Amino acid sequence: MGDAKRYPELRRRLSSGWWTANRHYTMYMVREWTSLFVALYSLMFIYGLSLWATGSRADFLNFLKNPAIIGFSLIAFVFTMYHAATWFYLLGAVAPVKIGRSRTKPWQALVLNIILLIIISFLAIWLAVLR
Amino acid sequence: MKVETHKVARLHALLWGIFSLGGMIAAFLLPVMIYMTAIAYPFGLWPFSSPSGCLYCPTRDPSFLVTGHLLGALFIFVTIAGSLYHGIFRFQTTLTELGLLKYRRALEAVGYFIIFVGIIVLGYYLVAWYLNGTIA
Repeated sequence: MGDAKRYPELRRRLSSGWWTANRHYTMYMVREWTSLFVALYSLMFIYGLSLWATGSRADFLNFLKNPAIIGFSLIAFVFTMYHAATWFYLLGAVAPVKIGRSRTKPWQALVLNIILLIIISFLAIWLAVLR
Repeated sequence: MKVETHKVARLHALLWGIFSLGGMIAAFLLPVMIYMTAIAYPFGLWPFSSPSGCLYCPTRDPSFLVTGHLLGALFIFVTIAGSLYHGIFRFQTTLTELGLLKYRRALEAVGYFIIFVGIIVLGYYLVAWYLNGTIA
């Protein structure tokens, strides 16, 4: 008998609107949808590079200055920051660090990682643009 | 059968591992990338603003981020490829939780296709620019 039959997968049937049942589910779904903006921004940037590769550098820069692209990117920025905050909190929840007898709390991981995010951002700007 | 199950489990672990790595990249590197390309550059903010009172100072733009030096190009590749993988992988999983579970295979196929093509195209441009000397 195969593993698939010995351990049948139990899938609970969910309606498409299950995530509206309570606030936690809704926030979970909002967090998951941030991924769409992360993916779309990445694809948009690759498209911008393709304009440069097939045309000129000015095409790429004009693309970045397009009001629609700026508008979308601003929304993507908000969702990316939300992704970052929830991701940092989640890190603290799933992998707490044991210090002595106590374990770190998720909010501590959030604060620490936000400080790290600011340091990394400055470092990235310095290394990639200012150096 | 057992060996095959282990292979599938190992592949799943690998794909979810890359997903987690992409999540870290999207959390730590994507915000600064969006800030530079979509906020700082179009609105003339730091680090793309020209020094006050200096009309002839050379200013940099996001193209320098791509071709200024190899480290910048590497930053672009890691950030965009990691974020693309994480975003598509997570979104296709979300869709299966919204009543599209029966289309899981098709969603995975489309998702991996977009990830594959996106990363190949990105890598191709950057490698080509590096080889022809556009990237310093």
